[in-house]
Amino acid sequence: MSLNFRVPIFDVKNLSFKVRGQEILSDISLEIFNGEYIAIIGPNGGGKTTLIRMLLGLETPTSGEIKLYGKKLKNFKEWHKIGYVPQRASLVDESFPATVLDIVNMGRVSKRSIFSSMDKNDTSAVEDAMKKMDIVALKDKMVGTLSGGQRQRVMIARALASKPEILILDEPNTGVDMRSQKNFYALLSKLNKEENITIVFITHDIGVIADDIARLFTINQKATICNDPKKALSCEDMSALYGIEAHLIHNHKHEH
Amino acid sequence: MLEMFQYDFMQRAFLAGIIIATLASLSGTFVVLKRYSMISETLAHSALVGVAVGLVAGYNPLWMAVAVALLSAWIIEYLRSTFTIYSDAILAILLSGSLAVAIIIVSLGGAFNNSLFSYLFGSILSVSKEDLIVISVVGTLSLALLLFYSRELYFIAYDEEVAQVRGIQVKMLNFLLVSVVAVIIALSIRVVGSLLIGALMVIPTVAALQYRVGFVKTIFISLLIALFSVIAGMTLSFYFSLPSGATIVLCVICIFIISLVSNKR
Repeated sequence: MSLNFRVPIFDVKNLSFKVRGQEILSDISLEIFNGEYIAIIGPNGGGKTTLIRMLLGLETPTSGEIKLYGKKLKNFKEWHKIGYVPQRASLVDESFPATVLDIVNMGRVSKRSIFSSMDKNDTSAVEDAMKKMDIVALKDKMVGTLSGGQRQRVMIARALASKPEILILDEPNTGVDMRSQKNFYALLSKLNKEENITIVFITHDIGVIADDIARLFTINQKATICNDPKKALSCEDMSALYGIEAHLIHNHKHEH
Repeated sequence: MLEMFQYDFMQRAFLAGIIIATLASLSGTFVVLKRYSMISETLAHSALVGVAVGLVAGYNPLWMAVAVALLSAWIIEYLRSTFTIYSDAILAILLSGSLAVAIIIVSLGGAFNNSLFSYLFGSILSVSKEDLIVISVVGTLSLALLLFYSRELYFIAYDEEVAQVRGIQVKMLNFLLVSVVAVIIALSIRVVGSLLIGALMVIPTVAALQYRVGFVKTIFISLLIALFSVIAGMTLSFYFSLPSGATIVLCVICIFIISLVSNKR
């Protein structure tokens, strides 16, 4: 094995997914490399979330192959390298008994070996993650009492606590106001540039983050990969993908 | 107050009660947070099948209850994770099904008597030395397992999928939790009774949730409520000749109402 050979974090080949005979995703092939910032866009029901769920082993593909760090998905064990923030992350159950610290501590759960106590490494990783997300002051607050933007940062801090190499976010903006969203994009960009964390991000706000991202995947049953996202925004593929929604995205961009 | 401890059976009942309160409230916290409260009722009724077999066939009903409750827990978890049936419907089917089986076994065996009655509603008089040993040994083991995996179980209760992506053995731990709950319920029916154990498992946690505090504090409050209810319930049942299980359940419901009213926003 040559060290010069660049092994992708995710290596997806000819992936298809069918539910009751209906094709949700067909023949998807893509690679995600270390340090990349990738946005995934596409219409609702186009299969974005299904793709992410298959990448994470939550859904089994009908055919095709997924390799994670060169290993087949079912043989992959180093899950602490993967940080995942799901779609409804900021919509928490308000009565769930959890402080901000309780939630961020979850990020360390599978790293410990014996007994449930946390060691020094765990505590410092948790503190570090809270500092990065600027939520140290909220540490003892109940998650149910926080705003959408604050909850979003808590969920990302939980993912960061395991010191991941890649962060996968599935439209984590539900219930978050515009100003918090902007801060959030700046933060993701910072994590990507300064911490070299690979970011894969499902979003509708393509106009806002176009300057930051390296590549753009559009998913609508099939995948189209744009290596120059700024170009992609004006290309006809976008209209084909979104139909009328393409205009909305452009208007959206001009507002900022 | 100390007068009641002159009796051996009261000492045994208190010891058994304290162990059961601890186990029921701790396991109950995870069950409630997983929105799985009804499983305690179903397993309590399944345990009755074991009791019925034990009474009719002459085996120790407690061991038989543990065996049948475990089996039932595994069936529930298997059905829930394999088929797309609503999990509350599975619980309802197994609840009535096992109650029916228990009643038929008992009536065929001619064991419809006080002995069965004590398993339905609990009886502090009926805790034998052997029962106490079984409760302590199996109870300690269950407690150790719950504490060992408490952070994983908490994560799963909060978000099963993220926990799975984090590399936690979600399926295995779900099986473990229902198994521990099955054992705890089967052990508890001597003291609290199978018709009432669900209350002791679920209500302390629901009461503790009203205080809106973090995970560890919620567990402690729930534990305190369960211990207080069991001790108060047993004391009242001794002095006023009330049935122990029902008195304990009414105590825990009183505390629940107090928690609800005092934390109203």
